[in-house]
Amino acid sequence: MNPDGMSRRQLLRHTAWFGAAVGFAVAGGEVISHIAGAEAAEHAHAKPTLRFAQVSDSHIGFTGAPNPDVAGTFGHAIEQINNLGYTPDFVIHTGDLTHLSSPEQFDHVKQMMTGLKTPHVFTVPGEHDSVDDAGQKYRQAFGAGSVGDGWYSFDISGVHVIALVNTLNLRKLGHLGADQLAFVEKDVARLSSDTPIIVFSHIPLFAMYPQWGWGTDDATQALGYLRRFSSVTCLNGHVHQLFSKTEGNVTFYSGTTTAYPLPHPGDGPAPKPVTLPAGKLHDALGIREVSYTTGETTLALKEQRLQ
Amino acid sequence: MTLPSVLIRIGFATSLAASAICHAYLYVHGYQHIPSIGTAFLVQASVSFAIAALILVGGPGWLGWVGAATASGSLVAFALSRTVGVFGFSERGWDPSPYAAVSVGAEAVTVLLWAAVAARSFGLPRWPRAQGWPQKARRQTTSA
Repeated sequence: MNPDGMSRRQLLRHTAWFGAAVGFAVAGGEVISHIAGAEAAEHAHAKPTLRFAQVSDSHIGFTGAPNPDVAGTFGHAIEQINNLGYTPDFVIHTGDLTHLSSPEQFDHVKQMMTGLKTPHVFTVPGEHDSVDDAGQKYRQAFGAGSVGDGWYSFDISGVHVIALVNTLNLRKLGHLGADQLAFVEKDVARLSSDTPIIVFSHIPLFAMYPQWGWGTDDATQALGYLRRFSSVTCLNGHVHQLFSKTEGNVTFYSGTTTAYPLPHPGDGPAPKPVTLPAGKLHDALGIREVSYTTGETTLALKEQRLQ
Repeated sequence: MTLPSVLIRIGFATSLAASAICHAYLYVHGYQHIPSIGTAFLVQASVSFAIAALILVGGPGWLGWVGAATASGSLVAFALSRTVGVFGFSERGWDPSPYAAVSVGAEAVTVLLWAAVAARSFGLPRWPRAQGWPQKARRQTTSA
């Protein structure tokens, strides 16, 4: 026996404690997962009030090494949504439908989106959808039912949805403008405070990385009108990566893209398309399922990589 | 087992369990859907529960180190989530309330308790055994 070391009995005792720690941790994890699963099953049993899918940043018309076939990957995303196992109440495309706003690109993406098996398809414009005409071609293609420069709202299954345009009048950051802020204020004035609110925009409504323009300079005012609501969920595109943030009653979720990844905030001098190693592109692309069950204060999100 | 020893064990177990309960609650109520963060919350809760239970029933000293490491890691992750983000996840202030504040408080207690035990043991903390606590680190030389 080494007088400075551990006896065999001590070693066995510590091993037993270690085993117990691992065993307890695994068992505890199982119990928590089971409770979470049971809760989810209960919610699943009480069918979600609203289920929809989000796609973003298809950049139809983009050509380059980061993704030589953006139409192909967007087509995969559409197939994936059509095979969710249920019909989503609607599909939202959170902008940059096209890469350069040409009529051909708008025709192409619109034609592709007619393949979505859902009663409604909604969109908001990205800055790539208004590169040369302040969004005129976008509104001709997708602006039916919108007001102002393309913003709108609607009610579905007890949820109030607001689609905002923050890509026109771009300075460094996204911008909503006085007209749109007035629209938001008036739009929610009639709603009771327990109405769940979902807000779509292309550029984040939170300061995700202002140095790269990933934020909206007058979003605080718009969010101020939503402060009294118990549940506000903001979904955006633009940043080509998953990101989430909670500020008080508002939760922000940035979605990924179906085209090509961008670097993480601050990783490099500018947000330029990233070329991934062969076979890795689909891991960075994806779609998002969102569901809301009456009585819940938060929406359930499920991210899916592109298959 | 002396009274200080029992109290310190209870303090460790309570603070670890409080942090675990907060993380487990948040996991069940929505955080499970957040990529990476959901898994991290589940691991934190299950490990903290296990360490709390074993410390309470008289486990060895290294459990205090594991508990302190878990609590410290949670505090660091909390700080990152309020600044640069963790796996793309960030939150602001003490949201979700009151779980964020309770969890941070409990983890701070865990770390402080560990620091107190470590200081009394001159940098070689041993878990207080039946002989009583505090005590200096000393090696047992029983035969195998």
